Amino acid sequence: MNLALRDVRRHVGRFVGTAVGLGLLLTVVIAMQGIYAGMVDDATILTRAMRADLWVVQRDTRGPFAEGSRLDPSVEGRAASVPGVRRARPYTYQLIQREHRGQVMRIALVGLGWPDDPGHSLALVRGRRLAQPHGEMIVDASLGLGYGETLTLAGETYRVVGLTKNALTSGGDSVAFMSVADTHLVALDQPPEAQLLERQRVLERLRRTDLGRSQPSLEALVTDPKWRSPALSSPPIAAVLIDADPHRIEAVREVVQRWGDVTVYSQAEEEALLLGGVVQRARMQIGLFTLILTLTATVIVMMIMYNLTLEKTHDLAVLKLMGAPRTRLLGLVLQQAWLLGVLGYAVAYAIGEVAFPMFPRRVLITDTIALIAPLATMLIVTLASILGLNHVLRIDPARALEG
Amino acid sequence: MTDAVSAVKLRKVYGSGPSAVKALDDVSLALQRGSVVALLGPSGSGKSTLIKALGFVSPAHTGDVLFEGRLVVKDGRALADLALLRRSHLGFVFQKANLTSFLTALENVELACELGGKTNGRKRARELLEYLGVAHREHAYPEMLSGGEQQRVAIARALANEPSLILADEPTAALDRARSRSVMELFRKVAHERGAAVLVVTHDHRALDVFDKLYEMEDGALHATERKVVDAAV
Repeated sequence: MNLALRDVRRHVGRFVGTAVGLGLLLTVVIAMQGIYAGMVDDATILTRAMRADLWVVQRDTRGPFAEGSRLDPSVEGRAASVPGVRRARPYTYQLIQREHRGQVMRIALVGLGWPDDPGHSLALVRGRRLAQPHGEMIVDASLGLGYGETLTLAGETYRVVGLTKNALTSGGDSVAFMSVADTHLVALDQPPEAQLLERQRVLERLRRTDLGRSQPSLEALVTDPKWRSPALSSPPIAAVLIDADPHRIEAVREVVQRWGDVTVYSQAEEEALLLGGVVQRARMQIGLFTLILTLTATVIVMMIMYNLTLEKTHDLAVLKLMGAPRTRLLGLVLQQAWLLGVLGYAVAYAIGEVAFPMFPRRVLITDTIALIAPLATMLIVTLASILGLNHVLRIDPARALEG
Repeated sequence: MTDAVSAVKLRKVYGSGPSAVKALDDVSLALQRGSVVALLGPSGSGKSTLIKALGFVSPAHTGDVLFEGRLVVKDGRALADLALLRRSHLGFVFQKANLTSFLTALENVELACELGGKTNGRKRARELLEYLGVAHREHAYPEMLSGGEQQRVAIARALANEPSLILADEPTAALDRARSRSVMELFRKVAHERGAAVLVVTHDHRALDVFDKLYEMEDGALHATERKVVDAAV
């Protein structure tokens, strides 16, 4: 006869209620782990999606994600000419925030080096890659834009031609891919008033310099409506991505590293920069929070198990008096703890299946979490039953005779 | 008849010095199988201490206890697995029925059968409930049973392992006169029909005629008592 199940049957409502409570606690613990895993994955997904062997960024910066990086576009041509380089692609990265259909939308704009790179490295869940240098974009489904939908940016209309899944930044912002030229248009978009003020500022500087005074024709040039400020006409790029022959990657790196204006990172180093810089603090915060939650869950389960055992003290004393083997009485407590763990985890799993997709940040249940979480739950309930087990051992069977 | 249990010169003292209390003072006793024996005495006279010593729950400090002729406790030291002995050969009935609260009447008895190593526990449990007249309440939890029904189930549970010795500690304290007598008669029936030795601690002098022998305890000492002496005292 299984005493644990019989006891649960007698107090099924209370037991299920306890299991649901435990399940909710476990949901939070698992969610924290999942959010952290999602954050790590999000942080590196952008770099992984680009599938580059080397990232060339502004000298002495940790760009383009951990900090800003500005490279002269000529770096692309220089990199392409290095022996061993199969392909060099420009890369831009910027965050924008726009209103669309009454909703505030944060978008990480990533520039692809069209026509060489129309998005070959992207895993599309729907649609196609870029087919023209202007007016098309590939967006992550989390942005909320549907396939074929249009979005107006910098006065231009962009049509969604492809959808990705889980292309997010470490901050959880959805990514939109378009040509580098289009990202420049968006980045350098200025209202007419701002352009007029810019011209006026350049004109005044020109009039204060010897060059302006000696060459009056320059004034005519600056006031021409077709003229653009040098600051705007040669937009920098964030990085150059290099695809190299697999056996010559290090050689290419050594060559490029010698240039005075760039720093080169491998794919792994770029990911480490992201994890070490952007995610490190969040990792510690979530790690500590998870630890506290886990300890809280353990203490709560411990008190629940202890109280459940305490309530049965007299029953257990009678059973001891009747000569019930110690293992059987300990089994009663342990089996209930394990049942509580199984039910609690099942509740957490069910809640997670429904609730996690609705979280604003991606909750990524990795294989490791899926394996560790149930094992950890069983470990927690086993440890938590120690007080109860100790109580069982200490019950004096003579108590049964004391009325 | 053979002795189910016999105690030789049991001594147990609580405290020390002038305030020491003799709970058992050289108590010797033999309970024969098939006999039903009453243990009388005021509160604090040592009855419960003697029950605990005879039931292998809490041994005396000195003295021996033999079970079915075998020395089991010598000077407070166990020479056998006492828990095994209890579940295989002893039955207990308490002042309150002390049924396991989360088991039905049937399961309470079935568990005792199982602990006693009896096969067909459920069948045997049903037979015992039938024997004690509470078979119709087999699916009821203890809290749903009357006091008398609970004690009958408790007696059925005590019989589950076919014990050689049943120890009952004031089993009728919570019952009215009619039910009290009914329970005492059940003990007599069990002792005579099933050959168990039954020792009943009681304050209830209304049904002493059912017992084969009466003992009285006072200040830790045990005396055999004639029924008429007790009746006169009442």
